[in-house]
Amino acid sequence: MILGYLGAGALLAALVMGGFSALLSFWSGIRQSATFIQVGRRAFYAAAAMTFLSAVVLEVALLTHDFSLAYVVEHTDLSTPTALVAAAFYGGQEGSLLYWTVILGVLGSASLLASASLGGRVAAYAAGILASILTFFLFVLAVVASPFDVLSMAPPDGLGLNPILRDGGMLIHPPVVLAGFASFAIPFSFACAALLAGRVDAAWITHTRRFALLAWSLQTAGLLLGMWWAYHVLGWGGYWGWDPVENVALMPWLATTAYLHSSQVQERRGRLRLWNFGLVITAFLLVVFGTFIVRSGVVPSVHTFAISAIGPWFFGFLVVCLLFSAVLLTLRSNLGVEAKPAPAVSREGAFVLQNLLLLGVVAVVMWGTVLPLVSGMFGVQRVAGASFYERAAGPLLAAILALLAVGPLLPWRHAGRATLRALRWPVAAAIVALMVLLIAGVRSAPALVAFPLAVAAGATALTEYARAALRKPRSLLRKRRRYGAYLAHLGLVVAVTGVAASHFGQQERDVTLQPGEAVTVAGYSLTYAGSERRQLTDHTEFVAGMRFGDQTLEPSRATYAGLGGQALTHVAISTTPTADLYVVLAGTNPDGSATFRVFVNPLVIFIWAGGAVIILGVLLGNVGERSAATELARRRIPVTLPA
Amino acid sequence: MRWGLPAAVVAACVGYLIYSASGGATEYYMTVSELQAHATAGDVRVAGVVQDDVQKSDGLHVTFTEKDGTASMPVQYTGTLPDIFKPGITVVVEGKLGGDGVFHARTLLAKCPSRFSTQPYVK
Repeated sequence: MILGYLGAGALLAALVMGGFSALLSFWSGIRQSATFIQVGRRAFYAAAAMTFLSAVVLEVALLTHDFSLAYVVEHTDLSTPTALVAAAFYGGQEGSLLYWTVILGVLGSASLLASASLGGRVAAYAAGILASILTFFLFVLAVVASPFDVLSMAPPDGLGLNPILRDGGMLIHPPVVLAGFASFAIPFSFACAALLAGRVDAAWITHTRRFALLAWSLQTAGLLLGMWWAYHVLGWGGYWGWDPVENVALMPWLATTAYLHSSQVQERRGRLRLWNFGLVITAFLLVVFGTFIVRSGVVPSVHTFAISAIGPWFFGFLVVCLLFSAVLLTLRSNLGVEAKPAPAVSREGAFVLQNLLLLGVVAVVMWGTVLPLVSGMFGVQRVAGASFYERAAGPLLAAILALLAVGPLLPWRHAGRATLRALRWPVAAAIVALMVLLIAGVRSAPALVAFPLAVAAGATALTEYARAALRKPRSLLRKRRRYGAYLAHLGLVVAVTGVAASHFGQQERDVTLQPGEAVTVAGYSLTYAGSERRQLTDHTEFVAGMRFGDQTLEPSRATYAGLGGQALTHVAISTTPTADLYVVLAGTNPDGSATFRVFVNPLVIFIWAGGAVIILGVLLGNVGERSAATELARRRIPVTLPA
Repeated sequence: MRWGLPAAVVAACVGYLIYSASGGATEYYMTVSELQAHATAGDVRVAGVVQDDVQKSDGLHVTFTEKDGTASMPVQYTGTLPDIFKPGITVVVEGKLGGDGVFHARTLLAKCPSRFSTQPYVK
């Protein structure tokens, strides 16, 4: 009870401080008053601290089973394991919003700490925009969806967590995705601040580079963890279903991928200034759009979770952000005028083409996501199936893969004959790969395009490493941003190979077996050994034994009597170097036989391994990089207002 | 540099890809009564509530009646069932309505009432 009031009070205090920080920061930025700029910034820190306090209160309430709070009752019970009780903090609508707000407060504070070197106005406006976003979230938390609603009578026990969520994936996937989403606000705020202040230089890019990389890395990890979780838990044999909830997480990731590449053109060559502003703004708007889609339920989705009253509020927020950004970009469009055109065949050109293609993929995914809404306005709703995305986005993804092979070999400014010579290795590798596939009997055209292109892109990254190692081994360490990026490219190639192999090569078979009977799928032989019933504390488990070589796979079905007999399937997966054997127990029959669905998914482990290499590449490429402040000093960017 | 032309070319390609894929790869999403009002030849997705007459012949074959308030139709499905499948839940079936009036479902998705909580608590 007391915790409920304490938490609600902290939220209210944070709301007041956030609103104060927003107003004061904008006002002092216009007036260029150094003192008030600092006060505005400190008000933001205070709002972040109060938000953090309310989060601590909620976590304490969860861990102490304070069932006077509706949130604690709805998401936990006394039998829930402690780790999952702690995870319930972000497991529900209100708590996940609070988690998001805390991350925004903490990262926002971190980004504001060193912001004075950007100049008073940019720093002030950035604080103002960050504080405005924070205030919006705090308002929703305090007024519309409070995690601190107190029940008039505390029940003896809570309702508990849905069994599907009682899984290790619950502990890592949601916090990483939500933190990724929240961190997009920082590059957005500094980009808008630079636009407001009329600053065209790349200082805002350098200052927020770490936050953009953090947002991108978290989002990459979040997407991969979500795929991994779905693959291991849901039992339909795949990891990506083009569901709206997945799509809206993919779109900001694509836009940020574009930005991480195009921002280098501005840092290195001073070009694409307005474009970079546009990309960062687009990425943030896509995050807000995604939140609105997920939380409002306007689009049919398998995950119709967490639908609540906050939908209209997020729609309003999206409209305000959209109008603000559009007006800002239009007013400052003169900043984008560039001196003279650069030749199309150059590193710059490759980055621009890659950006356009990535945005093309965003457009495809966006159309597929909103199609039910749009078509519903003109008649019967239509939905886009997986084949829509494959047919529309597939060619674009192939073109991006081709650019991954060519782009890194193109020099800045213009390409000459030397570039053509450099292309011989990737081209040769692609031809060899194509031959091997043809000899192996692969005849699917998309597969014959995807694999050779992936091999070529891998060859490009490897030749770049070889060249550096032979000529200037020290540059591998000194230019680690560059070679870290190539490592990320290599990881992507590995992951793409895994995606393509499991997509084109998946085999599945439904089979009913008597104990002792065997089945062979894609050359893998499985023998049904029999099944047993296990009675556990809150559920009954029906476990089937499947012998595969010298191991026994145990796909099972659990039934939770306390939850209206809800069933839960446990997939059994055996990973071999070339494929995953994925066995689902579909049901058991009165005659003692059992029915299975068996998938053979080639190279799925490449996806997880490649994903880990991508993140490793980004980390290695940026750990120990010069700090933003020294970078700015080195570039002799005038510092107008000292801290 | 002037990127208007390449941007226009890429935009045109993306537009064409979306347009051509929309033709064959999108499906109608309707309720049972909407399906009975407009018969469609291609695959459709139909949402409705599972009635009490669920019959499983083995783990993979199931027949049941799907209803949306006014209209109902028999559904036949072969495949693994979602864990929460039972009478009373809303499902989305994807497939074709046969000449015999039976809907032959290729996929069957269950709509979770809520992913995060088991049921709303009455405040």
